[in-house]
Amino acid sequence: MHGTSTLLNWILWTPFLGVLGVIIFPLFFSKDKQDNVVRWWSLVNTIASMILAVVLYMKFDNSVPGMQEQFMVKMAWIKQFNIFYTLGVDGISLPMILLTALLFFLCILSSWTITKSVKGYFALFLMLQSTVYGVFMALDFFLFYVYWEVMLLPMFFLIGIWGGENREYAAVKFFLYTFFGSILMLVGIVALYYASGKGIDSFNILALSGGKFTDNMVSMFGTTFSFSKLFFVAMFIGFAIKVPVFPFHTWLPHAHVQAPTAVSVILAGVLLKMGTYGFLRIAYPIFPQASVHFADWIAILGLINVIYGALCAMAQTDVKKLVAYSSVSHMGFVMLGLAAMTVHGMNGAVLQMFNHGTSTAMMFLLIGILYERSHHRWIVRPDGSKGFGGLYTQLPRYSIVFIIAMFASMGLPGLSGFISEALIFLGIYQKYTTITVLGLFGLLIGAAYLLWMFKRMFFGEVVEECKSYTDMNAREIFYMTPLCIAVIVFGIYPAPVLDIMKSSVGQLVSLLAQFQ
Amino acid sequence: MHLSYLASLGHYLPELIVCLTMVGLLILEATYDKHERGRGMLYSAAVIGLFVAFCISVGSLTDQAQPLFTNSVVIDPFSGFLKIIMILGTLGAVYLAAQSKDIYSEMKAEFVILATGVLMGGMLLASANNMLILYLGIETLSILSYALASFRKADERSSEAGLKYALYGGVSAGIMLFGMSHIFGVVGTIQFSEMGARLSELSGTQIAILAPSFFMFFAGLGYKLACAPFHMWTPDVYEGSPLPVTAFFAIVPKLAAIGALTRVTMVFFQDVNALHHSWIALLQVVAIITMTVGNVGAIGQRSIKRMLAYSSIGHAGMMLMGVVVINELGARAILFYGATYLFMTLVAFLITSFVQDKYGNDHFERFNGFIYRYPLMAIAMSVVMFSLAGIPPLSGFVAKFNILAAVIEKKYYVLAIIGGLNSVISLYYYLKIVRLMVFKDVESDENIEGLGFVNQAVILGLTVPVLLLGVFWSKLISLAGAAKILIQ
Repeated sequence: MHGTSTLLNWILWTPFLGVLGVIIFPLFFSKDKQDNVVRWWSLVNTIASMILAVVLYMKFDNSVPGMQEQFMVKMAWIKQFNIFYTLGVDGISLPMILLTALLFFLCILSSWTITKSVKGYFALFLMLQSTVYGVFMALDFFLFYVYWEVMLLPMFFLIGIWGGENREYAAVKFFLYTFFGSILMLVGIVALYYASGKGIDSFNILALSGGKFTDNMVSMFGTTFSFSKLFFVAMFIGFAIKVPVFPFHTWLPHAHVQAPTAVSVILAGVLLKMGTYGFLRIAYPIFPQASVHFADWIAILGLINVIYGALCAMAQTDVKKLVAYSSVSHMGFVMLGLAAMTVHGMNGAVLQMFNHGTSTAMMFLLIGILYERSHHRWIVRPDGSKGFGGLYTQLPRYSIVFIIAMFASMGLPGLSGFISEALIFLGIYQKYTTITVLGLFGLLIGAAYLLWMFKRMFFGEVVEECKSYTDMNAREIFYMTPLCIAVIVFGIYPAPVLDIMKSSVGQLVSLLAQFQ
Repeated sequence: MHLSYLASLGHYLPELIVCLTMVGLLILEATYDKHERGRGMLYSAAVIGLFVAFCISVGSLTDQAQPLFTNSVVIDPFSGFLKIIMILGTLGAVYLAAQSKDIYSEMKAEFVILATGVLMGGMLLASANNMLILYLGIETLSILSYALASFRKADERSSEAGLKYALYGGVSAGIMLFGMSHIFGVVGTIQFSEMGARLSELSGTQIAILAPSFFMFFAGLGYKLACAPFHMWTPDVYEGSPLPVTAFFAIVPKLAAIGALTRVTMVFFQDVNALHHSWIALLQVVAIITMTVGNVGAIGQRSIKRMLAYSSIGHAGMMLMGVVVINELGARAILFYGATYLFMTLVAFLITSFVQDKYGNDHFERFNGFIYRYPLMAIAMSVVMFSLAGIPPLSGFVAKFNILAAVIEKKYYVLAIIGGLNSVISLYYYLKIVRLMVFKDVESDENIEGLGFVNQAVILGLTVPVLLLGVFWSKLISLAGAAKILIQ
C-alpha cells in the first residue's frame, strides 16, 4: 500500500546533509575562505531543498483528501512499541512545507552578515530546517514528538549565542516553556498508545484519528473524567504554548526581541504554525468530540489573542516587539478560524497560517535590515526622543517594501492577509456573531498600531542619524522580492494555495461535523 | 532444583572473581612498591579482574532462575543484567579514580580495593533471595562505603561525610533489621519466595503489625537508594567525598538498592494481597517526594558535584516510578534507565573531575566558555546534560519514556505528569551548565592537563552510547525486557 517514492526522505534529510557539509567542507579551505564556503554551501543546500519542495508541489494531487499514498514512507523503528518511521504529506502540511523551504532559503541570504562563529550558526540553522520538516511530515506520534523536541535544541543555541542583550534569559524561557508543554503532550501520546490497545497502529496519527476514544473514561481523584476531554486539554496546552495562545504567550516577546533576525523570521513564520498545525493534525482529528466541546473556549481564547495582542502591540516602543505582539494577534485569527469548524473558517485558518508566514517574515526581515544600519529598534527611545523619523525620504526603496509588508499584515484588500481574514470571519460569523464583531475591532486596532508606527518612523522630521543610512542593497532586494510577489499574488489569486488544502480541510471539517 | 553448595559455586563465578580480585589486590597492595609503576600494575589487575567478571556475567546471562546456596541467592536474568551494569560502573569509577587528583595518590590503591568490595556487596544485594542475604548485601555495601566517604583524611568535610554516612547508615540498618525481625515474627519466613503466599493469608491484627514493619524494612533500602525522606545524608556525603567516590556512589550502590527494591516489590506484592495497595501508595508518595526534593534541591547549587548529587536523587525518584507499577514493563524500564544513567553519569563526572583538578573547585563558573576551549568536551557535556534532562533523541529521553510508558499503562496519570514536570525542573539546572559553557566568554585559557588526548577519547567513547541508544534502542530494550525477575 505504500508508494516507493523517497521524495519526502530527500526533503527531510537534505538539510541534514547540509549540516554535515557545513562541518566537513571548510576543512578543505584556508581559514579566511571558510566562512564564505559555509555560506555558499548553505545557500546551495536550501536551494536544493526548495527545488525538492517544488517537485513535491508539482507531483501533488489536489483531489486526494487524505494523506497522499504516493509519498508515504514507512519503516519499522522500535518493534517493542510498534514505533515506525512514517512520513506523509497532505493538503494541510504541504503549504507549511513550501513555506518552510522558501523562508529558510531567504533566511540564509539574510544571514549573510553574520560574522560570529559562522560555521556553528549555519549548521544549527540547517539542523533547525530538518527538524521543522520532520514536524510537518511525521505521521508517527513518537517521531512527531522527537522532531517537536529536537527542534528546541538549535533554537536554544541560535537565540542564546547570536541573540541580543538579554539572550540567555530569552533562550532559557523559550526552552523551558515549550518543554513543559511537550511533556503534557508526551503523557497524552503514551496514554493514547495504551488506550488504542498498543497494536501496530497505536502510534500512527492517522489510524488514531476519527474519534475512537469518545467513550473512554478515566478515573482520577475518585471521579471519572472523559478520556478524550482530559487529553485534549493536555495536548491543547502543549500546542497552545507554541501558537502561542493567551496566557501561554509570555515567552514569545522575549524570544523574538532577543533572537537574531533570521531566527525571528523562522520563529514567527514557521514555528508558531507548528502549534496550529498540531491542532489540525492531532488534536482535532483524534479528539473530534472534545474539540467540538471546547470550541467555545478556543474561540474565546482566540479573541483574547486578537484583541490583547493588538493592544500590547500598540503600547510597544520597540518595533520588533511590536511585530512580535502583532504575531500574537494574527495567530488569534487562526485560532478563531479553527474554532469555527466550518469549511470557510478552516480554509481561512490554514491560509492565514501561510499568509502570516510570508507577511510577518517580511516585517521581521525589514526590521533586521534597518537594525543592521541603526543598531537599535526604538520607535521612541526610553528617554522620550525619537528613534527613527523621516525614513521615507532617506530610504525610498526600503519604504516601499515596508508599505507592502505593513498593508499585507494589516489585511488590506488586494494583499494576502485580507483573503484569509475574510474567509475566517465568513466561517465564524454564523456560529459566534459577537466574537466576530469584536474580532473585527482587532483588525481596526491592528490598522491603528501599524499606521501609527509607520507615521512615527517614516514621516515627520528626519532624525539626524537616519541621514547616514543606506538604502537596501541588491542582496536585500533579492531576498525581499519573492515575499513581495507572494503577498501580492496570493492577495489577488489565492487559488493555488486554497486548491492544495481544499480536500484535506474538507475531510477534517466533515469529521468534526459528525460530532456537532 | 536445589544444588549442593559446591555445585552452587559454579554458578557464582562473577561474584567469586570479584571477590578474588579484591583479595588479590589486597595482597598486591601490601607488596608492591608505592610508585607509579606499582600502581599501574594494581590498576591493570583490577581492570583485568573486573573485565573477566564482566565477560563471565555476559556469557552466563540465562533466561532461567538458578537458586543457589539453599535458595538464599538467586541468579536470574534480572540480577545478571544489573550486575553487568554495576561492573561497568565500577570499571568507570576505577578509571576516574586513576585519573583524578581528588584522591591522594597513596590512597588510590585502597580506593580500588574498597570499590571492588562495594561491588561485591551490590552483586549480593541484586541477587538476594532472602532477608538475611539482603541485609548482608546492604551491610557489605555500606561499611565499605563509610570508609570510601572519609577518604580524604586531612579534609574535615570528608571526615564529616564519613561520619554522617556511618551514623545514618547504622541507624537505618538497625531500623531495617528491627522491621525484618517483625516480619519474620509474623510471617514465619525470611525466604522471599514464600512471602507472597504467606502475606495473602494473614489476619487483620497481623497486618496491623506488619504494615509498620514493612515501612521500617523500606527505610533501610530507601536509605541506600537515597530516596526522600531518607535522603538527608546524600548532599553532604556526596560533597565531602572525593569526586570519584561520589561518582561511584551515584551509580553502583544506587542501582543495587533499586534492584533489590524491585525484586522485593515484585516478589512480595505481585499478587493483590493485604499490603499490596499500601505498598504501592507508599512507593508512589516516596517517588514523588524524592523526585521533587532532588530536582528542586539541585536548582540552587553552586558546585557541579553537589548539583549532580541532588539530581541523582531526582533520578532515583524517576526509577522508583518504575517500581511502583510492579510488572515486567517497569522492571525493563528500570534496567534500561540504569544502563543509560551509567554512561551519562560517568561522562558528567569525568569532565567535572578534570575541571575540578585544574581549578581546585567545581563551581559552575569554571565552565564559562568551555566550548571555545574544548569544543568536543563541551559538546559531550551538553549531550549528557540534555540526555539527563530527557530531551530526544538522546538515551535519557528513551529511559524516561519507558518509565512513563510503564506508569501510564497502569493509568497513574497524575504520577506520570508529576514525573514529567520534574523533567522540566531538571532541565533548568542542566541548562545552566550548557548555558555557561556555550553563551559565556572564556574565563581563562589555561590548559586543563587532565583533558589529554586519551581522556578526551574515553569521554567521547562514553558519550557515543548516550547518542546511539537514543535512536537505536530496540536491541537494548529487548535485552532489558528479557531480563525478567523469576521467583524461585
